[in-house]
Amino acid sequence: MTTVDIATVLQEAGLVVTCGPGGVGKTSTAAALALAAANSGRRVIVVTVDPARRLADALGIDGSAKSHDPSEVIGATSHPTGSLWALMLDAESTFDRLITDRAGDAKRAQTILANPIYRSIAGSLGGAQEYMAIERLHQLWSSNEFDLIVIDTPPSRHAIDLLGAPDRLVTFFSHPIYRIIAAPGRSFARVTNAGSATFLWVVRKLAGPKVVEDIIEFFRSLSGMEAGLRQRAAEASTLLRAKTTAFVLVSSPRAEAIDEAAHLADALRDGGFPLRAMVINLVHPTPASIDADDIPTELPPGPLADQFALYEELTALAHDEAIEMDRLRDLADDVALVEVPLIDDIHDLDGLAELGTHLLLNAHVDLA
Amino acid sequence: MGPGRSTPEWLGRTRVLMVVGKGGVGTSTVAASLAVLAADGGADVLLVSVDGKSGLGPLLGGTPLGPDEQVLRTKAHRSGAGRIRGRTITPKQAFGDYLELKGFGGILRRAASAASLDLIAGATPGMEHLLVLGKIKELDRLQSADLIIVDAPPAGHATPFLRSASALQTAVASGPVRDQADEVAALLADHHRSQCVMVTLPEETPVNEVIELAYDLEDELSLALAPLVVNGCWPDRPGLSMTAAAAARKQKITLSVATRRALDDVARFGRARLDMQLEQFARLDDRLPLPRIQLPRLPVARLRPEHLDVLAEALAAEPTVPAGVTK
Repeated sequence: MTTVDIATVLQEAGLVVTCGPGGVGKTSTAAALALAAANSGRRVIVVTVDPARRLADALGIDGSAKSHDPSEVIGATSHPTGSLWALMLDAESTFDRLITDRAGDAKRAQTILANPIYRSIAGSLGGAQEYMAIERLHQLWSSNEFDLIVIDTPPSRHAIDLLGAPDRLVTFFSHPIYRIIAAPGRSFARVTNAGSATFLWVVRKLAGPKVVEDIIEFFRSLSGMEAGLRQRAAEASTLLRAKTTAFVLVSSPRAEAIDEAAHLADALRDGGFPLRAMVINLVHPTPASIDADDIPTELPPGPLADQFALYEELTALAHDEAIEMDRLRDLADDVALVEVPLIDDIHDLDGLAELGTHLLLNAHVDLA
Repeated sequence: MGPGRSTPEWLGRTRVLMVVGKGGVGTSTVAASLAVLAADGGADVLLVSVDGKSGLGPLLGGTPLGPDEQVLRTKAHRSGAGRIRGRTITPKQAFGDYLELKGFGGILRRAASAASLDLIAGATPGMEHLLVLGKIKELDRLQSADLIIVDAPPAGHATPFLRSASALQTAVASGPVRDQADEVAALLADHHRSQCVMVTLPEETPVNEVIELAYDLEDELSLALAPLVVNGCWPDRPGLSMTAAAAARKQKITLSVATRRALDDVARFGRARLDMQLEQFARLDDRLPLPRIQLPRLPVARLRPEHLDVLAEALAAEPTVPAGVTK
C-alpha cells in the first residue's frame, strides 16, 4: 500500500475522526483540517466536544449557548464552493432528540425525558457522551449537507470507549436485568424474579424506594425502542469503518502521550477502524548545529551562557522527542506521519490556517 | 537534593490531598513528586490513582499500579525517610468493598457488584465517583497513611468527581448512599482533613481552565485550595534578550557567523516562550489570588525517576504570593 498524505485524505474522505490523548491540541487540529478542506472547495463541518473558549469564539460557537444546529463560520474561506461550518456537541440534547425520534409518540417521549433515571443516564452514564458523539455524527452524515465531516473526539484515555459506544449502549439495553424489568407481563415473574429482585433490592437498600420506582418506569417506557437503537448502532458502527472514513491520530512528542497514542493506534487497527494519518503536534524545534570549536568549555554566568544553556536544552529535548516520535513512526507503516511545531495558543482563523499549512507540509521541525 | 529537605507547611496540613488539572498538564507527575517530597520528609505516603492510570508505578520504581497496594521507592534515599505505597481505586472495586463493609453478603454481593454496577451507577448520578471518594474517606478514617495523595480525573471530570457527594445529598433523602454522601462531603469541606492542589501550565488555555476550576472548587464546593502548581515553566534567562554577537562580546568570546545565527534563533524562540509565560503569570496574578509554586520545564520527553527529585525540590520552595493577596 502507498502512503497517502493528509491533503489527499482531506480531498477523498467523507468523514475524518481526530482522536488522541488530552492536551495535545486535538481540537485545533480538527478545526485546522476542516479549514484546509474548506479552502480546497469542500463543504465541511467540524464537530467539537469541548473547545477552549477562544477557539470556540474563532469558530463562532458559543460554549454557553449550545445549539443543535451547525453554524457557518463566516469569512473562513474565500473559495467559491468551499464553506466551513461548526457545531459544538451537546450530548444531552442529542440523547433527547434520539428518544423523541424513537419513542413513537410525543406523550411517551415526554414520560421518558422527564424521568429522573433518564436524566441521570443522559448526563452521566459511562459512555453516554461518547455514544452521543457517534449518534450526532450519524445524523449529520445522513443529512447529506456536507462533503466532509470532521469530528473531534473527547480526550479519551481509552478512545476505544468512543468507538465501542454504539455496541455498549445496545448491551446496556439488552442487559438481562433491563429485560426482566422492562417485560410488562407477569408471566416470566417466577423464572426471573430472583435476578431483578436482587437488583431492585440492592438499589432500594442503597438509594431508597423512590429511585426503584423511577427505574421501573424508565425501563418500561423504553421497551420497544430497543430494535431501533440496535439498528442505529449497527449503522454507526459501519460508518466508522467505511472506506471513506479516515481516523487521524493526534499526539504530542511527550512519552505519556506517545504511549497512549501507540496504544490507540493498535486498538484502532484491531477494531478495523481506518487509521489514515498520525499527527505529532507541539514538537519543539531542533536548533541548527554549532561548530564544536565554538562551544566554550567553561563559560561563567552571563548572557552568552544563558543562550548556550537554552541551546543545549533544546538540542537535548529535540533528541529526546525524536526518540519518542520514532516509537510512533514504527507503528505508522503505510500511514502518513506529520510533525507540527509548537505554535502559540491558537485562537483565530489565521492561527488555524498556519496550523493547516504545517499539517499539509509535513516537514521536520527546525528552528529558523 | 540535599539531605534534610523539610516538608513545606502546607503539605502537612491535611491527610488527604487531591491533585487536579486538565489533561496533559502533568497532574500525575506532580502527584508523584509530592509523594517523593513528603516521603523524603519522613511521611508514610499512599498514592492513589483513580483514573485507571497505572504509569506512576514504574516511575516510582515499582510495577504498574493496580488494585493491590504495592510499596514503591523501597530504597530510602536517607535515614529517616518515609515510604510511598501506590494503588488504584476503581468504582467497581470500591463498590465491592463498600458492599462488604455494609454487610451485603455472598451471592447478593457478587450479583450486585458484578452485573449491575453500571445500572445502579446509571440510576444514581455521581454514584461511581461517590464510591471512589467513599473509599478514600475510608482510608482517611482508618489513618492508613500520613498522607493520601489522589491523582484525580482530568479537569472537566474533576468537578463532577468532587461534586458527586453534594449532588447526591440533594438527590437522595436517606439510606446508605445518603450517609456515604454526607461523610464524603464532610471530608471534602473540612479544611483540616482535605485540600486540592491544582496543576496548570503557563499557557493561555490551561490558565483559563484552572481559573474556572478554582472558582468551581472553592466557591461552589468549598474545598480548601493548596498553592497552585504551575508546571513546565521555562527558566528565566535575561541573556536571551541580547543578540548572540552582543552576548559574545560581553563575555569576551568570538563566535562564527553560523553559531551566532543558531544562537539568535534559539534566543528568539526562548524569548517568545518567556514573554508568553510572563503574560500568563500576570493573568494569574490578576485573576487567581492563590500562592503559587513554579516547576521547571525539564528538557526531556520522558520523565525518569531522578526527575521526580528535581521536581520535589522545586515543590519544597516557599510558594510565591501574588501582590495584594494575604495568605
